[in-house]
Amino acid sequence: MISRILPKIISAGFALAAAVSLCVFAPFVTAQNSGSPDAQGPQLDYEYFKTRVEPIFLKKRSDEHARCYVCHQVMRHGGGPLSLDMLPAGANFWTEEQSRRNFETVSKLVVPGNPDLSLFLRMPLAPEAGGLADTLQGGRRFASQDDPDWKNMKAWVLGEKPK
Amino acid sequence: MSSTNMKRYFRGRIDARLLLVLLFAAMPLLASTARIYVANRGGTTIDVIDSATNKVVEVIKGIESPEVIRFSPDGSRLYITSRSEDVLDVRDRKSGKTIKKVPLSGWANDAGVTSDGKLIVVCIRNTGTEAVDAGALDIIDSKSLEKVKSIPVRRGLHDVALTGDGKFAAAGSPGGQFITVFDLQKMEIAWEVQYDQGVLPVIIESNPDGSGHRIFANLNKTNGFSVVDFATHKEVARIKNPDEPSGFPPGCEGISHGINIAPDHKSLWTNSRPANAVFVYSLPDLKLLGHVSLPETEVPGKAPRGGGPAWITFTPDSKTVYVSTCGTKSITAIDVQAIKEVTRIPVHEMPDRISTLELP
Repeated sequence: MISRILPKIISAGFALAAAVSLCVFAPFVTAQNSGSPDAQGPQLDYEYFKTRVEPIFLKKRSDEHARCYVCHQVMRHGGGPLSLDMLPAGANFWTEEQSRRNFETVSKLVVPGNPDLSLFLRMPLAPEAGGLADTLQGGRRFASQDDPDWKNMKAWVLGEKPK
Repeated sequence: MSSTNMKRYFRGRIDARLLLVLLFAAMPLLASTARIYVANRGGTTIDVIDSATNKVVEVIKGIESPEVIRFSPDGSRLYITSRSEDVLDVRDRKSGKTIKKVPLSGWANDAGVTSDGKLIVVCIRNTGTEAVDAGALDIIDSKSLEKVKSIPVRRGLHDVALTGDGKFAAAGSPGGQFITVFDLQKMEIAWEVQYDQGVLPVIIESNPDGSGHRIFANLNKTNGFSVVDFATHKEVARIKNPDEPSGFPPGCEGISHGINIAPDHKSLWTNSRPANAVFVYSLPDLKLLGHVSLPETEVPGKAPRGGGPAWITFTPDSKTVYVSTCGTKSITAIDVQAIKEVTRIPVHEMPDRISTLELP
């Protein structure tokens, strides 16, 4: 029975983490991004997101996986937490305005400086590597934390800037 | 025994043995009358399982995020929908070549084929580009491979089931919280059932003449299913699965997600995510017969999580039922009579809808 209760506790923990990240940390992230003088700790960098993270959503990473965008474009995602803007017709990347919106959307799933509490990192990561990808409709997008794309995402969460 | 007679004797033995060997060799071929097609929605493949051996015998590649695979009655064609293209991909089964990509009204989910094979119906989950979906049922003529009608509905459609006579289709809407029944002869909406929660997979129980008798539907907040009377168009019961086993998280799409009727019409099988199990009910009286626990996701150093049971299909002889569990990347084969797991078949990323092709 304990093994049946523990997942509940774990899920509740994740739900709490998600709620905390959405309700508490999202305004904090927004404050950081707006250049609030009170901002402390790592800040999420828009340019890093646009050049190193956002392209991952469109990338065909392997024959094993569908692209993130296939399911996360807003018309296929039903307004879920990671709903990305639709690409303009015929375009292969988002406009500046759309990328800004995507940045705001994804930032809500991040606790800056804390990868363990950032659902953006945990959800696509295989359970064998500490993630929750078995509960993600897209499945195990990243088999390990050594995946170069996942490392880029993590670096963004840790506040890295373009070099 | 003379040497000639000995030779005849042994030749006879050898012939008999050879015959036995050939018979045994032929048995899997004789039994191999069905294929289970698995849409690996998180990936780019469709796995094909031989129901005689419960092994993957073919992997169809290059279809990004497939939603479902349906078949022409003669088994010569595959009808495939996916998230990556708003088309019905019609393929020759043996060669694997695309015959035509039929443009659809939007993002397609489930599909169904009338028993005479003349019409293919496709649930459209979203005809627009906004987060709030708008749905439709697209109807494709299998001869011309043209969309002959698109019947709009208020919200997106998820899964569809057809009456045995092919005259009606019932489709559920998660966002709209309704079942719409379509008259496929008039190609129009016949009636609707409004719910207080989202509608997930649906299945129709048909009368012996093929007309509709009852609709069974999973609802996203119900650990069990709803029963709709086809004649009165009313919900007549809501069946709750047992409270035990329990303790698994409900999953992202709903508490019970997956329901189907055995081809012999003797049992109804429905999944439960809190139980991480599939429950079996007798038909027509809907008495609980038992359950089978499904694979759990192993997490190193932590308690296992539920595997996320999803869709259900059967072999044509009703002897084996298959359940996809998306979190474990596997299909569980279960003996229907014994209500016991037979084996788990590893497949690719995020197996979701599964369907049975009865080979000619």
